[in-house]
Amino acid sequence: MYKALLCWRYLRTRYLAFACIISVMLGVATLIVVNSVMSGFSEKLRDNLHALMADIVIESRGLDGFFDPKGKMDVIMKDPFLKDRIEAMNETLETFAMMQFRFPNGEQYTRPVKLIGVRPEARAEIGGFKEYLTQEGNRQNPTFDLPPQMKAHFLEIEKQALERAPATEFPANPELPPPPKGVETEIKIPQGCFVGNLIASFRKKDAAGETKDHFVMNPGDSVVLTTISGAKLTPVYDRFVVVDYFKSGLSEYDGNYIFVSLDYLQQLRTMPNRVTAIQVKLKSYEQEDAKKIVARIEELFPFENLKIATWEDKQGPLLAAIRIEKGILNVLLFMIVAVAGFGILAIFSMIVAEKTRDIGILKSLGASRLGVLQIFLGYGLLLGVVGAGLGSALGIWITLNINSVEKFIAKVTGMSVFDPSVYYFKEIPTCIHGSMVGMVNAGAIGIAVLFSIMPAFRAASLHPVRALRYE
Amino acid sequence: MFGTEPILRIDNLHKTYRKHAVEVPVLRGVSLSVALAEFLAVVGMSGSGKSTMLHLMGILDSPDQGAVFLDGKRIDDLPAKQRDKLRNGTFGYIFQFYHLLPELTMLENVMAPAMIQHSIMGWMWNRRTIRKKAAELIERVGLSHRITHRPRELSGGEMQRAAIARALMNDPRVLLADEPTGNLDSANGQQIIALLRELNRDGLTIVMVTHHVELTHEADRIIRLTDGKVETETPLERSSAVQESEPATV
Repeated sequence: MYKALLCWRYLRTRYLAFACIISVMLGVATLIVVNSVMSGFSEKLRDNLHALMADIVIESRGLDGFFDPKGKMDVIMKDPFLKDRIEAMNETLETFAMMQFRFPNGEQYTRPVKLIGVRPEARAEIGGFKEYLTQEGNRQNPTFDLPPQMKAHFLEIEKQALERAPATEFPANPELPPPPKGVETEIKIPQGCFVGNLIASFRKKDAAGETKDHFVMNPGDSVVLTTISGAKLTPVYDRFVVVDYFKSGLSEYDGNYIFVSLDYLQQLRTMPNRVTAIQVKLKSYEQEDAKKIVARIEELFPFENLKIATWEDKQGPLLAAIRIEKGILNVLLFMIVAVAGFGILAIFSMIVAEKTRDIGILKSLGASRLGVLQIFLGYGLLLGVVGAGLGSALGIWITLNINSVEKFIAKVTGMSVFDPSVYYFKEIPTCIHGSMVGMVNAGAIGIAVLFSIMPAFRAASLHPVRALRYE
Repeated sequence: MFGTEPILRIDNLHKTYRKHAVEVPVLRGVSLSVALAEFLAVVGMSGSGKSTMLHLMGILDSPDQGAVFLDGKRIDDLPAKQRDKLRNGTFGYIFQFYHLLPELTMLENVMAPAMIQHSIMGWMWNRRTIRKKAAELIERVGLSHRITHRPRELSGGEMQRAAIARALMNDPRVLLADEPTGNLDSANGQQIIALLRELNRDGLTIVMVTHHVELTHEADRIIRLTDGKVETETPLERSSAVQESEPATV
């Protein structure tokens, strides 16, 4: 009983102990904030990646794709092991392309993009598609068809262009290079496409310091996409009309992807009934089960040159990099708590010296060596618990208000801690895991107790008479 | 009146303090017995070894040579756990500088030996009885009005009376008082001696070390230590007369 009482009184009366508490508190708070932000980034990235990617992707190793995707999907769906586990499948044709369009000021702009041929409704069943389109109608029922108003507007523009075009063709001259192709005499409504948000816009801070998207490509604008034919590797191109933006939150996708109709892309690339990937959505995604499904699909197509992987396998290096980064950061940050531990060691040694006479009194009253040891170990434990408790409260508070804290720091220092144009997220994502908070607390308390062992042993081994005579 | 059977006996105690290469012999073969319910006063000059002897009697320290006996059983070589138990229950200590724990109130200081004696469960079970007993002891030493005060809020005499109450908490059989009046003025010193005598009359064995010979008039027997040896031993019937005739030692 006296041990608990003295621990409590020492905690309340020794101001030096507050230095220990504050050092543990700051260490714990830092660990919690950093881990929560790292977890927030990591989980948002995982969620976004998983939402965007199918659970399992069956893809060809080259741009030529593979034949008869429908037949392959039928084989998969007939398999007794797979049919109960698969919810939906969808084929896509993916290739690179060059995109050309004109800025509003008339300047031409060309850049490489990734061209994805999809069937919008079927692709929507896999997930990670229609919910990222910006037009409400497309979010309900995605389609590449031009809305009536846009179609009418486009018809008018094309009609005017046709009227302005010269009526005569260039005369043929065998000594000159072949003349350009004659101007179209028929109005052809181009195909619609969904363009990545970051292709169509750029981010810039306005006068108030707010980061905003400035669009240079609007729905109804036309772009020319040039890719290669699947059969002869010759360039093929066509004009498409932007009908919507695709905004997933991942710059890799939003800054590169253009979705067009699968059937039209197959036709353009002369790749009938060929695709480069089948995306598979499972009824429920469990990593171990997904691996079994991958193995089973591989068994079904032993002679096909296919690459079958779960979304985690496909993003393995990125996810592993985040994990490793988090681990290293934790080790480094835990050293902060270890430094706090040395503070505890120093301060405890001072407290033991200060309390030498009290130790002598306790021993003269019959307190055992173990009892004295327990007082100081208990004191270390109490400092750790209080420090970790306060640190947890502070860390959780900062994490929950991280964006306000960031704004405050930016205002005070004049330096932006978090730049949305770099990270793409508009706000700092956070995720507090109870297990992480528990582990950080246990570690900090453990360190507090560990570093109080030496002073506690010193206190316990004090000779009662020498302790009583200590001045 | 005290009995003839010795409750506490020390036999040929030797103790030398060592600091680096310097050796300072403090006790050079001290032997004496303390009878049950006796009030023994040990006098001597500073450095004569009286406090060291008291520490050895109360097994706060171990002798280099010789032995300490309680009820005829040797206690100086007992395992640490048993010696802790004896210090907690059999011996009560009073020190010159009171040695109250500054973080605790007077009530808590008085209860400290009982807190050490009991586990948390035992304490929870007996806390009312212990608190009541501590309050009674505080009342007996006349400090009921100071029960919640911290040591720094008490005078020297009050602190010493609180220390006596603490020493009595676990009903010790022997009270060891090391210069209990050494830090007090004459009036407070007399009060403390009167209190000790009252306790002795109630049957408590007391060994008191002091260099104030004038305060030993209440003692049943006086022993004078000189250079770590018993120089003289004044029997009971002579103690009062000796005090009157012998000069005080400082």
